[in-house]
Amino acid sequence: MVKYIKLLGVFIRASLLTELEYRANFIAQIFLGLLWAVVVWVSVLIFFAHTTTLGGWEYAQVLIVVGMFSLINGLIECMLAPNVKRLIEMVRLGTLDFVLLKPVSSQFMTTLRYTRFNGIGDFSAGVLTIIYAFGQMTYRPSLEAIVQFACVFLMACLTVYSIWVFIATASFWLVKVNNLTELFRSIYDTGRFPITTFQGGVRFFLTYVMPIAFITTFPAQAFLGKLDAATTLTSVAIAAITFIASNRFWNFAIRNYSSASS
Amino acid sequence: MSQIHVERLSKHYQVHEKEAGLGGSLRSFFARKYRTVKAVDEVSFDIQAGEMVGFLGPNGAGKTTTLKVLSGLLYPSGGNASVMGHVPHKRETAYLKQFTLVMGQKQQLMWDLPAIETFLVNQAIYEIPKGDYDATLKELDQLLDLGPLLKKQVRKLSLGERMKCELAAAMLHRPKVLFLDEPTIGLDVTMQVRIRDFIAAYNQRHGATIILTSHYMADVTALCERIIVIDKGKLFYDGNFRELIEKIAPYKILKLQLSTHAISEHFTEYGKVESCDGVTVVLHVPRERATDTAAHLLTQFKVNDVTFEDPPVEDIIRQVFEGNRK
Repeated sequence: MVKYIKLLGVFIRASLLTELEYRANFIAQIFLGLLWAVVVWVSVLIFFAHTTTLGGWEYAQVLIVVGMFSLINGLIECMLAPNVKRLIEMVRLGTLDFVLLKPVSSQFMTTLRYTRFNGIGDFSAGVLTIIYAFGQMTYRPSLEAIVQFACVFLMACLTVYSIWVFIATASFWLVKVNNLTELFRSIYDTGRFPITTFQGGVRFFLTYVMPIAFITTFPAQAFLGKLDAATTLTSVAIAAITFIASNRFWNFAIRNYSSASS
Repeated sequence: MSQIHVERLSKHYQVHEKEAGLGGSLRSFFARKYRTVKAVDEVSFDIQAGEMVGFLGPNGAGKTTTLKVLSGLLYPSGGNASVMGHVPHKRETAYLKQFTLVMGQKQQLMWDLPAIETFLVNQAIYEIPKGDYDATLKELDQLLDLGPLLKKQVRKLSLGERMKCELAAAMLHRPKVLFLDEPTIGLDVTMQVRIRDFIAAYNQRHGATIILTSHYMADVTALCERIIVIDKGKLFYDGNFRELIEKIAPYKILKLQLSTHAISEHFTEYGKVESCDGVTVVLHVPRERATDTAAHLLTQFKVNDVTFEDPPVEDIIRQVFEGNRK
């Protein structure tokens, strides 16, 4: 475990050095990220120009969901999206061989190897939004709420990671997975609104089939001290199940992989 | 027990065949015809610690496939292999830390960064202690003359410079077994010699076991006493390189420069006359009689110059393959 945390540090360092090789690109990416975050914020403002609550959530509370959305979106952009792109390339060129030769988990090596910094805009916009939202409220989270939030948030990250591992693994067969990542992103886009905004089948789908609710709404709810113990435990279960399943799927794919021609 | 043990190893692929054109593509979309390709077919051999063995064979003979099975990248379809007591395809950490695979046509160096950054990543991956890392890097620098190359972005290096860095990146963990697949491909002669010297030096210093494949016969001639020849997945020679040459080509090439004219009939009793233009005569003389023949010729004719040569290895290997195909 310590080895992997150290390795992640080494990977991020190398990635940062790579990004800094292309200065203009680096700055442009961060700027773009910030711009997108503003767009999300404005869309919420437009909603609240017409109403005072959204799915039972007040303006400031919704902002926490929005913050969670941007923050996790930033993490996806930084840590996950670039690796899926690389993996497709490695499968096509056969350089995945080098990964399989290394005495490290191949899933770790491929899914967290490259970090890009274009998500930093989204990420910091998310953090700022959450801080701003708490400024608009008189509510202050108790220690218990903070611990609960930390747990649910960690599970959310693990769940998102596992979903991306599924998408990445599909590239062994599909070679082009752009459509899959786009599909996930458009479903994830619903995560900027609290899950209670949605009704019936859609809500069920976004909670249990593609667990977007566990990624943005529930962590926000935990922060607000309004998440029950059962949902907290469910988030742990969902993270564990998706993680184990994605790892199995990855290993299955690797077993079937026969490297491209020499 | 030998360090590399391969017994009746097979690797078969299912490939689907497609006829040309749209019609063919459509047909193969709905009903694929599969064909089994025997990339490696019941190959057996043993290699002792510290040996340097050359893998020879034409393109598609199964050399790379064999190396990939030994590296654990491919599951064998049949038979078994063991390297340093490990079963390669299990890819145990203990095994992965002890060998390296260098593929001349693929690169692991990070393209946009100086090679030293890839080295640092590998140091972390292989958990190489700082002291060992520094010592190994110093030694590699000395053997390969890396010096300023390490600080230049990989994309700005020449092919030869990049290959030196690739080799170094693959050696940082001091592997005991080296699988080198075409390490000199595309390099000029000077650089080929450089890489060759490095391989020989590494083998001597660390007693590493090396399997080498190369299209350049000179690499194999210079480095390997023993060769394994495979073609179409089948092994058909495993043994001493010199012995093979003596078996396939039991003659030496004798070149004479005469100061007076002579005709080819004068030489038929000494061996096979390859060419004779009056002053230059090329003869194939049986190996064991080569020196006697030369001595005799010197007394019979006015000879300005005489040279002995071994037949070119390329020709010998070609003869081996042609013999095999018949």
